Amino acid sequence: MAGSTDQAMTRAEILEALPELTDSELAALIRSGVVRPVQSARGPLFRDLDIARLQLILELEDCYDLDRDGLALVMSLIDQLNGLRGDMRAMLQAVASEAPETRARLRQVIRETRVTIVTEDETTPG
Amino acid sequence: MRMTMADDPYAALGVSKTATEAEIKKAYRRIAKTDHPDLNDDAAAHERFKAASSAYDLLKDPEQRARFDRGEIDAQGQERPQRRYYRDYAQAGDNPYRGEANFGDFSDVFEDLFGNRGRARGAAAGSAGAGGRSWGAGAGAQSFDMRGADHRYTLEVDFLTAARGGTTRITLPDGNALDVRIPPGTRDGQTIRLRGKGGPGMGSGGPGDALLTMTVAEDADWRLNGDDVITTLPISLDEAVLGGKVEAQTIDGPVKLTVPPGATTGQRLRLRGRGLKRAGGARGDQHVELKVVMPPRIDDELAQFIAKWRETNGYDPRRGGT
Repeated sequence: MAGSTDQAMTRAEILEALPELTDSELAALIRSGVVRPVQSARGPLFRDLDIARLQLILELEDCYDLDRDGLALVMSLIDQLNGLRGDMRAMLQAVASEAPETRARLRQVIRETRVTIVTEDETTPG
Repeated sequence: MRMTMADDPYAALGVSKTATEAEIKKAYRRIAKTDHPDLNDDAAAHERFKAASSAYDLLKDPEQRARFDRGEIDAQGQERPQRRYYRDYAQAGDNPYRGEANFGDFSDVFEDLFGNRGRARGAAAGSAGAGGRSWGAGAGAQSFDMRGADHRYTLEVDFLTAARGGTTRITLPDGNALDVRIPPGTRDGQTIRLRGKGGPGMGSGGPGDALLTMTVAEDADWRLNGDDVITTLPISLDEAVLGGKVEAQTIDGPVKLTVPPGATTGQRLRLRGRGLKRAGGARGDQHVELKVVMPPRIDDELAQFIAKWRETNGYDPRRGGT
C-alpha cells in the first residue's frame, strides 16, 4: 500500500538522504501542499512514496527553471497521468480476461469513438 | 576493446574526456529532460537515464572524476542501488496525491468499476447537500459563490490511541496546530472529516473540509483480526502447570485472567467484548495467546525433579495423542 509508514523517514532522515534538499525548501514544499507527509505524534513522516516524489521534484527543479506554481502544476499533471495510467492498466487487464466476443464488441465501440483512420487491411474480411 | 556505456561514464553522457564541469552538467540535464522514467514511458529511455545518472554521480565530483581518469576506480562502484521511481507509487489506486477525476456522463460507470474512490473526493465537496454523484466543485461552478477546496492529509496514530480513541495534535501546512479527536475503534485507512478546516471559500461559499486518512502504526504487542484483538501473554512454568490468576493487558487497561492448570504455549483464552469497537457500538473480543517461558536459570532442584519425573511420566509432544 502506498500509505505504509513502516519504513517512513523523519524530517532529519529525509534531509540526510536527499542532500540537495534544504530545510527551507522542504518547508516551502510542505506549505504549498506539493508534498504532504504523514502527520504523527513523532512529527512529519515521509513514506517511500513521498521520498520518490521529492527526488523527482528535485530533478525537475534541476532540469527546468520551475517556480513553486509551475512545479505544483507539473506534479498535479504527473499525478493525473499516473492515476489514469493505473486505471487504464486495470481496465486492459479486465478486458484481456473477457471472452473474444466481448472483446470484439468493445473493439468496435472503441474504434468508432477513438480511431479515425482505418486501413483497408483491417476492414476487408480476411 | 571498446568500453560499454556502463563502463564509460563519458560515453553514457555523450561528452568527451576533456569536457568541463558545465558541459557535463548540461549533458546530464539534456538526457534527464528527455529520458527521465517519470516523464518517458520508453524502456530504452529508462536505460539511458540510468546510465547517465550514475555517470553524472561519478563525474560531477572533481575528485572522483580525477580518480576515475587515473584508473584508480571504475564506474561500476558508482552504480546506485535499484531506484524506485515516483511512477511506481503514483500508479497505485490509493495514491494520496491524486486529485479527482471527472468523466462527466460516465462518472457512474467509473464509480461502478473503480469503487467510490472518486466519489469520496467528489462527495466531500458537495456541501450543498447529499448531492450524491456531483463530482468536485463543478456543481457550484456557475456562480461566484464557491465552497473552498477540501484538503487531504494522512495522519498516523499508534495502535492504542486508535483502539481507545483520544486526541492528537497535528500541524497544518500553514503552521497552525489542530487538535483532532480520534474516535475509539479507528481502523487503518479510515477517513476523519473536520468540517470547515479546508481551503477558504469564494463569495458566500463556506470553507472546505480537512479530510484525514488514518494510518494505524503496526504494534508487535497488538495484532488485529477483524474486530478481534490478539495479544501474547507470557506465563511462567509454575503458572502453566498449576494455573492461577495472571494480569493481562487489554485496550481498557490491565485485567486479571484465570490461566487453567496445564496451560500450554499457543493456547488462547478469550476476553469477551475487549476487542475493537464496531460501527454499531458493540465490540469484538480479545484473544490472549499464552506463551510458556522457562525460568532464566534451571537450578539443580528443578533439574533433579524433572529427571526423576521423566522416569515415570515422560511424554513425546511430537507424536500425536499426547
